[in-house]
Amino acid sequence: MRNMSMWCWRVLGVFLIALTVSGCPKRQEAPTESELGGPGGAGRGLGSGGLQDRNLAAKDPGQRTRERVESEGSDRGSGGPLSDVYFAYDAFDLSAEARDTLQANAGWLKNNSAAKVEIEGHCDERGTVEYNLALGAKRAKAARDYLVNLGVDAGQLSTISYGEELPVCKESTESCWQQNRRAHFLLVGR
Amino acid sequence: MRTLLWFVVVLVTAPCYVNAQINLQITKEGGQALPIAIAPLRSADGAGSGDEFAEVLSRDLDLSGYFHVISRGATADSEEGVLAEQINFQNWSALGALALVKGALSSDGNGLVAEVRIFDVAQQKQIGGKRYRGERRELRRMAHRFADEVMLLLTGERGPFDSRIAFVSTRAGGRAKELYVTDLSGRQVTALTHDRSLNLGPSWDPNANMLAYCSYRYGGPYPYLLNVRTGEQTRLSSTVGYSGGRWSPDGSTVAVSLEQDGNSDLFLLTPEGRVVRRLTDDPGIDVSPTWSPDGRRLAFCSSRRGGPQIYVMEVDSGNIRRLTFRGDYNTSPAWSPKGDLIAYTTRSGGFRVMAIPANGGEAREIAAGEDPSWSPDGRYVVLSHRGRLLVARKDGNSVKELTRGGGDDTSPAWSPRLE
Repeated sequence: MRNMSMWCWRVLGVFLIALTVSGCPKRQEAPTESELGGPGGAGRGLGSGGLQDRNLAAKDPGQRTRERVESEGSDRGSGGPLSDVYFAYDAFDLSAEARDTLQANAGWLKNNSAAKVEIEGHCDERGTVEYNLALGAKRAKAARDYLVNLGVDAGQLSTISYGEELPVCKESTESCWQQNRRAHFLLVGR
Repeated sequence: MRTLLWFVVVLVTAPCYVNAQINLQITKEGGQALPIAIAPLRSADGAGSGDEFAEVLSRDLDLSGYFHVISRGATADSEEGVLAEQINFQNWSALGALALVKGALSSDGNGLVAEVRIFDVAQQKQIGGKRYRGERRELRRMAHRFADEVMLLLTGERGPFDSRIAFVSTRAGGRAKELYVTDLSGRQVTALTHDRSLNLGPSWDPNANMLAYCSYRYGGPYPYLLNVRTGEQTRLSSTVGYSGGRWSPDGSTVAVSLEQDGNSDLFLLTPEGRVVRRLTDDPGIDVSPTWSPDGRRLAFCSSRRGGPQIYVMEVDSGNIRRLTFRGDYNTSPAWSPKGDLIAYTTRSGGFRVMAIPANGGEAREIAAGEDPSWSPDGRYVVLSHRGRLLVARKDGNSVKELTRGGGDDTSPAWSPRLE
């Protein structure tokens, strides 16, 4: 038995040397030459790609979103005289109150035909990100279509969904959620 | 590009592994956690941190829910050897340990060698062992690898810990959402984007090299690809209105949701952004496609009959059937890589992650939270709950915190196993 054991260790030794010389055999637990960085190495190069298109011109279409992100939870003033309209949970139909607001907004837009507005669809924090992006798009579209039906020039209007990403109110209360479920009118040119 | 040399060698027990029988086995889900002691690895010549290896391994095994990791501090006799004949098993048994991990680190040129063994304390014998050789910075990966090995030995199935989790977080401050990636310790977090914009919904390709995600960095939202190795970001398509997508299991296509004229439908894109074909055309919202592991079916979320529900489509025929009937708000489906279950988010009071048989049936709760993503072994989901990421066993019997980052951590995506 002792001899057997010695013999085994010798075989094992030869096997290990062979491995060292030849690299690993094709075995499942032997990934020989993978190029994956470890957790620390993953940082190498990361981010550099993210910076490659800085020096953005003022016309950069991403600028508007960054400004909205930086506005730290406030829409104040960004809509000029245009008021937000609000929606029920998981809904994009326009209430009587929302239609009144849109009437007023339409009046101003028709009197200021040079004004350009981006209609933002927003959701409250409840629900999942992807579904809320789609729901926000429905809300922005509903507001846009109503304005166009009231005679606003479609060329004045664009839409974007921010889903649940840009709340104006951060508390988890119904009154707060209500403020976040909105179509916001961002004045982007006059 | 640096090439890594990875060696993994089975440390064969003397004499030549004739007695391969393992008495320690965890068979029942939800059974008693196995008490395991993990000694700090001995570090011969400052080769690496034996404490760090033990810490990563301990955290993985704790996360698994199958093990009760016995506190290391009081137990370590630093002079004790790492071979069965050098170990005083009575001391470890007295601590309640049924299994014991010991090992040593040594230098190898500029690299590192880790030799790690696991012992059956009652039988006083080695039941498994591995030697890993690689760059020093890969110490943590070696520990994750060994955790997967311990899982294989003691549960009969390889663990999922040599992988990564991508997620979205506000931890950089304000309302900006950036992408991050972490190892399974939750503590090696690397920022992938630095846009001060909105970057959402990461999804891994089958090789765990690329992430598809949604970005507003140039307006949009547009679908983007990010190479996790190089950091390179490219816009996948100039079609605006992207809300999310998932790589097909063979990597040949990405199923995405695109909004056109206010309405979101599903499309198949090539990884170059070309539309292969339209999958749905319905006035309701269609979002969050997720592939069956054979690539023949897609589950998705749709509001086509009122509130959002989960539906399953046969990709070739286009046939669609409804999967969820309980509750009026069911979203964010994720198809298990084992194929049997589809996890999703339901709203009932708060939000909960459920699992339902992929062919229909009773849904069971996994844990409170939302946006589930399956582990590569199909035994766990990672989900977000109150700004943290949690790892939950699919039976719900174990829920552990993965991240707590000083911001909202959301939308986790568990990668396939690393090569």
